[in-house]
Formats: sequence, C-alpha cells, structure tokens
Amino acid sequence: MNRKLIKHPLATIIFLSFIFFVVFPVIYTLGTALFIDESLNDNLLLFDKGTFFLLFKSSLIAFSIALLSTLLGTVLGFLLYKTNVKFRGFFKVSMLIPLFISPYILAVAWKDFFYLFFNNTSFISSYIGVILVLTTIFTPLSMLIIGSALSNINAQLEDAGFMITNFRSVILKIILPLIKPALISSFVLVFIFSISEFSVPAFLGIKVFTTEIFTQFSAFYNHSLAILQSALLITMCVLLLLSERKYIADAPFLSIDSKGTRNKSYIIKNWKSLSLLFLFSWFFISIVLPFIILFVQSFKDGTSKFIQAFELLIPTFSNSIGLAFVGATIIVFVGFTAAYFSAKQTGTKKIKSFDWLLLMVFAIPSTIFGISLIKFYNQPTLDFIYSSYAIILIGYVGKFSFISAKLIGNAIKQIPNSLDEAAQIEGITSFTRLRKILIPLILPTLFVTFIIGFIFSLGELGITIMVYPPGTEIMPIKVFTIMANAPQSLTSSMTLIVFSITLLIITGFYFIVKPFIKNYNYNND
Amino acid sequence: MIKLNNIIHSYGTKPVLHDLTLNIEANQLTCLLGGSGCGKTTILRLIAGLEFPQAGQITIEDKIVTENEQILIPPHLRNIGFIFQDLALWPHFTVYKNVAFGLNERNNDNVKDTVFEMLDFFGLREHGEKYPHQLSGGQKQLVAISRSLALKPKILLMDEPLSNLDVKLKRKILEHIKNLKQNFDLTIIYVTHDHKEAFAIADKIVVLDKGKIEATGSVEKIKESENKFVKYFLEY
Repeated sequence: MNRKLIKHPLATIIFLSFIFFVVFPVIYTLGTALFIDESLNDNLLLFDKGTFFLLFKSSLIAFSIALLSTLLGTVLGFLLYKTNVKFRGFFKVSMLIPLFISPYILAVAWKDFFYLFFNNTSFISSYIGVILVLTTIFTPLSMLIIGSALSNINAQLEDAGFMITNFRSVILKIILPLIKPALISSFVLVFIFSISEFSVPAFLGIKVFTTEIFTQFSAFYNHSLAILQSALLITMCVLLLLSERKYIADAPFLSIDSKGTRNKSYIIKNWKSLSLLFLFSWFFISIVLPFIILFVQSFKDGTSKFIQAFELLIPTFSNSIGLAFVGATIIVFVGFTAAYFSAKQTGTKKIKSFDWLLLMVFAIPSTIFGISLIKFYNQPTLDFIYSSYAIILIGYVGKFSFISAKLIGNAIKQIPNSLDEAAQIEGITSFTRLRKILIPLILPTLFVTFIIGFIFSLGELGITIMVYPPGTEIMPIKVFTIMANAPQSLTSSMTLIVFSITLLIITGFYFIVKPFIKNYNYNND
Repeated sequence: MIKLNNIIHSYGTKPVLHDLTLNIEANQLTCLLGGSGCGKTTILRLIAGLEFPQAGQITIEDKIVTENEQILIPPHLRNIGFIFQDLALWPHFTVYKNVAFGLNERNNDNVKDTVFEMLDFFGLREHGEKYPHQLSGGQKQLVAISRSLALKPKILLMDEPLSNLDVKLKRKILEHIKNLKQNFDLTIIYVTHDHKEAFAIADKIVVLDKGKIEATGSVEKIKESENKFVKYFLEY
C-alpha cells in the first residue's frame, strides 16, 4: 500500500470505508443494470417515449421551482443581508426552518389548507401544487446562497460604483454581475433538489420521474427499468453539478461564521414598511400558516386523533433519535476527515478526492441512492447490513456528509495557517496541533454540523423509504406509510407531532448553540 | 551563523528568489528591507523550514538544514523563534498558556518559572489570565515575543511584526526589540518595508528587490548607497 496512505491511517480507513459502503453500491448497481442480464442495447430498449416525456415534465417542474426560488431568494437575500430592515437577525434564522423540515410535512399542511378552506384539494394536488410547495421549501436555500454572496461583496466596489452612477445601475451593473456565480449555483442546486424530490409529489399524487422510479422498483419489481431511469437522472444531476462544480464544490454559503471584508448595508427608508410586510408575509406563508393548519386539522374533531397519532409515534421516538444521533456523529467524522485533507492540502491525491466523492453522492437523488443500497446489500454475505439499521445509517452518511465537509472545511479555511505554523516551530506534533489548536478553534462549527446532521437525519425520507428493514419503527416512515390509508386528521396529527418535535429540537439547539458560538468567537479582536 | 546559498524559489510559475546568496552573522540584528513581493518573508520562511526552495542550500551554524527540495532539519529542531506578521497568538489560549504551550509539549522543567520570567520581563504578568482578544495591539506583540523567547531560541525571525501598530507604540516595541539581542543572546532577522524602522534597530540591512539583493551593509552604508533602487526606495 502507498506509504502516504499509511501515514494517515484513520483518514485512510474512513476514506476506504466511504468508498466501499457508499460509493461502490452506486457503481455496482448502475453497472449491473447496464451491462449484466442483457446487453447494454437490450437494456436501453426499455426506455420508451413515456420515459423521456416524464423526464421532460419533471425537468419543467424543477426548472420552475429553481427559477421562482432563485428570484424570491434574491429578494430575501438582499433584504436580509444588505439592508438595515428590522428583525433581520430573527428572519435570517427563522426563514431557514423549512430547509430543516421534511418536505412531506409542508405538503400535508398545504393539502389540509385547501381541504379546510375550499373543501377541494385538486389545485394543490397538481403540478402547480408541487411547484408552490417545493418553492416554499427551497427558497431559503437560495436566500442562503445569494445572501452569503451579497454579504461577501467588498463594500469599496459598491462605493466606487456610487461615485459614478445611481443605485439602480449599481445593483444591475455591479452587484448582480458580482453575485452571478451564486445565482447560477442557487438555480442549479434547487433544480437538482427539485428533480430529485420524492415525498412531495408522492404525497400529492403527482407522477414525476422519482415517483415513477419508486413505482417501477417497489410496485412492479421492474428493477432493470427503475435502475436505468435512475442512471438517466443521475447523469443529468451530475452533469449539472459539474457545470457549476467550482462554486458548489467550494460552497462558500455553507459557513457558520465568516471573517469577510467590510460589507455595505443599505438604509431603506421609503421601502421599509413594504419590505417588512414582504418578510412577515413570507414567514407566515412558509412557516406559521402550515403549522396553524396542521394544528387546526389535528384538533377539529377533538383530541382523539392527536392522542392516537401520539401513541402510534411513541415507539418511533427512541429509534429515530438514536439513529439520528449515531448518523450525525459519523457524518461529522466523515466530514471532518474530508474537510481537513482538502483544506490543508495535505495527504494523498486519493484522500483529497474525497471531497469530490462526497459531492457526487450528494447529487444522486435520494430514492436512487436508496435503490443502489438495496441492490448492493441484498445478498447473503451483506445481510447483516441489509436487514439492520446500518443500511439507514449508510444512507444518512452518504447523503449528508457533503454538507458536513463543507461546513467544517469553510471553518478550517478561516483559521490562519500561522496558528499551526507557530506551533510547528515550537515542536508540537501534528496530532497535538490537531487536538489542541485546530479542533478547539472549530468546535462551534463541529457542534452546529452535528446538529444539522442530526436534524436532517431525523427527517430523512427519500432513502429511508427505500431501504428500511421490515419492522423498522422510525418517525418519517411511520407517518409516510400511514398516510395512504389513514384519515386526513390522523395524518395531520402525526405530521404536526413530527413538525413540533423538529421545531423544538431546532429551537432548543439554537439557544444552546448561540452563547456557545459567541464564547468561541475569538476572531473579533 | 545562517547561510543561504544560491537559493531559487517560486510560487507556482511566479519566481520569488533568483539565485540568492546571503550570510547572516551571529548576534546581529539584520533587517531585510524591501517592498511588497520582493521575497523577504519567503527568506524567513525558508530559514524557519516552513518552506523549501526549488534549489539551493541553507545552513544554520554550519549544519545543512535545507538542501534543494529537502528539509533536512524540521523547524522545531532549528532552535529558532518566529514572530508572524499576524502574530499567530492562539485565540483559545490565555496569555499564560500561549507562552507555556511549547514548553509543556517539550516536557520542559520549570514551565511555570520560565513563563513568569518571560511575562515579568515584558511587563505582562498581570495579563496572564487574559485571552489575546482582551489585549491591546502592543501587548499582543509582547506576548508573541515572549512566546518565542520562552523556548530559548538562538535565532529570532520577525516578519513585519509592527505593521499594525501606531507610531508611538512602534517606538516603544522597537526599544524592546533592540534590547532583546543583548538580553537573550540572539541573532535576529527582522523583515520590514519601512526603512525608518530598519534604521532604528538594525546592525546590518539587506535591501531586496524582485528576489535579488540590491545592497547590504550597515545603516550608514545603506544611507549612502549609490544603488539606484536603494536611493529610490529610501526616498519614499
């Protein structure tokens, strides 16, 4: 084995484990689908006009969501990151809530809304419904990406613009071109997430590419077609990602704390009330209203359905929290390993490429990643993984380690090299430098990464719905499997409970983390 | 004491040092003076062993420490102290711990005594339990110097350590630096772009431009230099 690989034994073990447990199943599944059983040509004949038409329709939906989210995200990003609008601190944090909630929860809430007010759900159970629900979910992501780019613009560039032209021209000719990479990345990422989304169209009963793959795989057992369709979607997502690889791979928006250049803030006078109205309206529509609707729907016939829902969910709490805890811990370890070797530009090329592997797996739609895991682990020698919670954990790690690596990587990049070099000159070993200098300095980020990993794992459905072993009792699965046959009020009650638990965890962690980050913020000297 | 022989160094395709040869004498304060990008910080980092050249040899006390692309003696075995431009104080350690960290890790005896000796010398004892962000700019400078000197190095490398201080504070710290040589029996290499700073403390000045030595000598010799670049540089 390569000497340098042995030099970083822990990193090598994590790297090779990731390849074996996460990457290899995807390659194996695609490989077998394309080349084994039949020849490639025979397999490709399984594609028909319908497949491509459905892909086109799904792309059109994803395009609309990406466009709307990027537009709304730009407005929200500008208001919250570039102006002195009131309550911007509160909005910056609270607007992100939809990102941390399983998409199906909001789909249930919106369906309830139309049921309650119009006694008719046909509007929401349509392509437009999918677009509207997913736009409310992905707009915060666009806001984060674009807002982060806006706050990183050097104020002097804008000031120089104001010396020669007016506000409108500065916006159009200086600010927008400067944040172009963020705008494109926002569009591409939201497009990939939207076309990969399974739970919202599935709940609203809309046939899109991911639900079709799920149906072919789980209902018709037509594995070859499902995997071929998956290959088509993966290719599309990866190609899109590669087109924007530089900005997305660096992911500057995934940063807990940034020491940027001076940021220019605009004082909005005439637009103050309108801006606040817009922010409050968006906050109400995307977070408060769904919560109220779920609440009303849950209790409209008394408390019996809520109690029944609670009883149904009780067995899932410890499993869900335990799995999310273990998953988040592994996600932090994997993310740290990838981030450390990438940011420090040390280790072998293979370990440095870890970062890229994480990105590629991240781009694979959850349902498809789930299918890959099933196909690979469903064999006698690997049954101990297939029939246990381990397969769900592998899913979490594959899906969320990219986010973890970026959050940690951006924190590492903000620590001046001289802090490490000063210790190096004093003869401190690399392990001690890591333990006593680097890790304490990025501890807040490690903690926040753990929380994000925990919340994402807790609500993950796309992979889990495919891979969960029989008898698994975890929250999203319980809700999703009951949805099909239960009365709407029971579904709403269960969703409300999951929603509330997630909100409670986010709020609790926020208050734990806030002072913790402040105490560790040494960069303000 | 320190010899750099025929050093060639570049960052990517950008050449920084062109066949540079330089001798630093023991127990002297040598200033490397030059504008941005002239290679002065690179020289310090090469001496420290934080980087290696593409070609050339560096010796410290007649021992080859770096040869071509190989670091033969790692930074911590070169008996040097380094004051970084940003000072590189560990923000999560108190002043006491910043100074003690290296001593503890090297299992030195009397860590506490050595640290307090340093803090007393620089008038920092009362700030021992403070964190770097709670100190003034001048105090931070002194902590960085204390930290480097606690390990009793023979050579002290200083990379524009006063660049962020006001004139009054600069004068005060420069006095401290001047005295270090005698008090700690040190060879100091001090990097600056400010000729006034160099004139105030140097025994010897090396003027650099685009990775080459333009002039070298005592303060008087440099002031009287007929070299075109030196004359131009000293005008500003």
